[in-house]
Amino acid sequence: MRLKIGTAVLAASLALAGCSASATASAPASSGSAAAGQTIRILAEGGGVGLQKGIAEQFTKDTGIKVEFVEVPYADVHDKLAADISTGAGSYDLATIDVIWMTEFGPTLANLDDVMTPEVTADLPAALVADAKFEDHFIGMPQWANAEILFYRTDLFSDAKEQKAFKAEFGYDLVPPTNWQQYRDVAKFFNRPKDKLYGTAVKGAVETEWLAYVLQAGSPSVVLDSSGGVIIDDANHVKALEEYIAPYCTDKVGPDPATTDWAAAQNLFYQGQSAMMLFWAHAYRMTPDDSKVNGKVGVAPMIAGPGGIAAIPGPWYNVVPNDSPHPDLAKQYITYAYDHNVMGIDAPLGLAARTSAYEQFQDKAGYEAFKPLLTTLNAPATTGRPMNVHWQQITDEVLTPSVQKALTCKVSPQDVLTEAKSKIEAILKQ
Amino acid sequence: MARRRFAALLMLPAIIFLVATVAYPLGTLLFNSFFNVKLLTPNRRTWVGFDDFVNTLTSPEVGTAALKTLQYSAFAMTLELVLGFGAALLFYAMRDRSAWARTIFIFPLLVPPIVAGLLWKFLLSLDTGMVNRVIDLLGLTPAGGQINWLGNVDTVIFTVSFADIWLTTSFVALVAYAGLQGLPADVLEAAEVDGAGYWQRVWHVILPLLRPVIAVIVIIRGVDVAKTFDLIFIQTEGGPQGASEVLSMEIYRTMIRYGNVGSASATAAVFLLVMAFFAALAYRVIWKPAND
Repeated sequence: MRLKIGTAVLAASLALAGCSASATASAPASSGSAAAGQTIRILAEGGGVGLQKGIAEQFTKDTGIKVEFVEVPYADVHDKLAADISTGAGSYDLATIDVIWMTEFGPTLANLDDVMTPEVTADLPAALVADAKFEDHFIGMPQWANAEILFYRTDLFSDAKEQKAFKAEFGYDLVPPTNWQQYRDVAKFFNRPKDKLYGTAVKGAVETEWLAYVLQAGSPSVVLDSSGGVIIDDANHVKALEEYIAPYCTDKVGPDPATTDWAAAQNLFYQGQSAMMLFWAHAYRMTPDDSKVNGKVGVAPMIAGPGGIAAIPGPWYNVVPNDSPHPDLAKQYITYAYDHNVMGIDAPLGLAARTSAYEQFQDKAGYEAFKPLLTTLNAPATTGRPMNVHWQQITDEVLTPSVQKALTCKVSPQDVLTEAKSKIEAILKQ
Repeated sequence: MARRRFAALLMLPAIIFLVATVAYPLGTLLFNSFFNVKLLTPNRRTWVGFDDFVNTLTSPEVGTAALKTLQYSAFAMTLELVLGFGAALLFYAMRDRSAWARTIFIFPLLVPPIVAGLLWKFLLSLDTGMVNRVIDLLGLTPAGGQINWLGNVDTVIFTVSFADIWLTTSFVALVAYAGLQGLPADVLEAAEVDGAGYWQRVWHVILPLLRPVIAVIVIIRGVDVAKTFDLIFIQTEGGPQGASEVLSMEIYRTMIRYGNVGSASATAAVFLLVMAFFAALAYRVIWKPAND
């Protein structure tokens, strides 16, 4: 009897599961009604909410359309949007997403060609415009842009004794480094572990900074070429990896990089334990008041390699899911947010996407990071990541482990990248 | 017959609940494992039969993650059992005087796993962590430099378990203590009168009598520790170089980050079967002989 009941329950469950797979697909998306007094729902993470809150409040005052933010942690933006799209629930009118998810969600997002006009794109860095496209049309409007720049300790760099000693050792003046060699020289000079000071911290737990080095080496793209071919083991990538690991492997600068991610590097700098760091520009205004380096932080553009200054931009985009309940209102908000993009600079993160917005503030006290950020974003070699559906898997399974392997200093960068190439090719075949 | 129908009717709400919350998700998982289906387009699916199961069993990534899961589980479980039973025996010996000690001992159990993971991430940090600072103050820093707890590919799978051990040893201790309190006092007295020393009583009398309790702990904690995700993810995200990537993380990445629902479902189904096997084994080896 028990066996019969159990079998019946299991059979019912499997039957239900099979039915639901097709039932979900045929569930129609709810249609929207475009009228003032409506509410639009925006999925965003905390920083994104902070950057858009002021804009949203003004939008409501001017249009009568209410804006409700669904604030979630970073990873949940992806997971919740994926779940919403896969179930056809249509919970969000628009979402603010990281550029790395644009390709994955591309087929499920609305065409924004009517919003991204030539006048609009003219005021955006070229790399942000390129990353806003999926196939041959626009799917996102950049809400804010970010890139790594150089942070350095002004107290150390302006110290007369340090300047004299540096010149004596390296033969040129101690200034914020502008290229690979200067970066290594300054890092070596200030690396004093016994005094709890490192020249810099090489990051082994993230891959983005090495990818910036690849562009600085002169490569037109990272990992994949324009036709999707794997180029990770070419001369530029190898040179970039050799240069990236050199401060740690050759010059013995910095703590063990295996566990050094963004937060660890930032923490080290705020605790006064590193003389320089390459980090995202928004951090300039976020130095804690009780930090040892408060008031002693200078900024400069990202360093350059043979190919010039380059970085991997980190923009976030406003996108409209195909099953958005109010797509026209969502586009109206997106256009409004672009027009008032400068308001994001007053938010805690203090970022924008428009070049003109940054230019309004770049000469004002407290916004010293904007000029280096614009220089970096507008550098000819600055390019986004490849728009490939497998990019997340390539990053998790190949790029980050490869950087970590190279930073063991036991395997040559060429060997690491040759192995990486075969792994990427296997992933692309899936 | 009428009584049976009435009994079935009374069970119906529970059955519906279990179908909705257990059987249906499980059925969906098993159903998806036979298809090539993507996260964003679940209505578009292609039948692949057992292909994803074959891929799971032959995948080097899954194999490595399975090995890491085994290493993590064995290490954490062993230490939790030893430390947990040790604490329980101590509390049992202290009798009523152990009340405060037991109360303080369960504090870690109240901490959310994510918080515990973050706490231990900072404690074990190479340069700024408290653990290395204390080791340094005691003059015990190895000649090669400070210990890279979370950055050594050979040992990270064991060091990430410190948070787990800290968090749940008290659970083992509490359950074991409850079991100890239920032991027949006359049997223990008889063993003592017969000349059995303390450790002889523990090994030959107490532990055999506690078989059902041990079985419960091994089954519950064993399954729990094998499917650990948050504690490890928050500390290392599976790195460095995938050295702490356990099976639950592999399944998460495959399904959520790469959008491969079918493949991840097959891996999860195999994981489920293996867990069920180990639970059944634990029951047969540990619990059942106690009832025979």
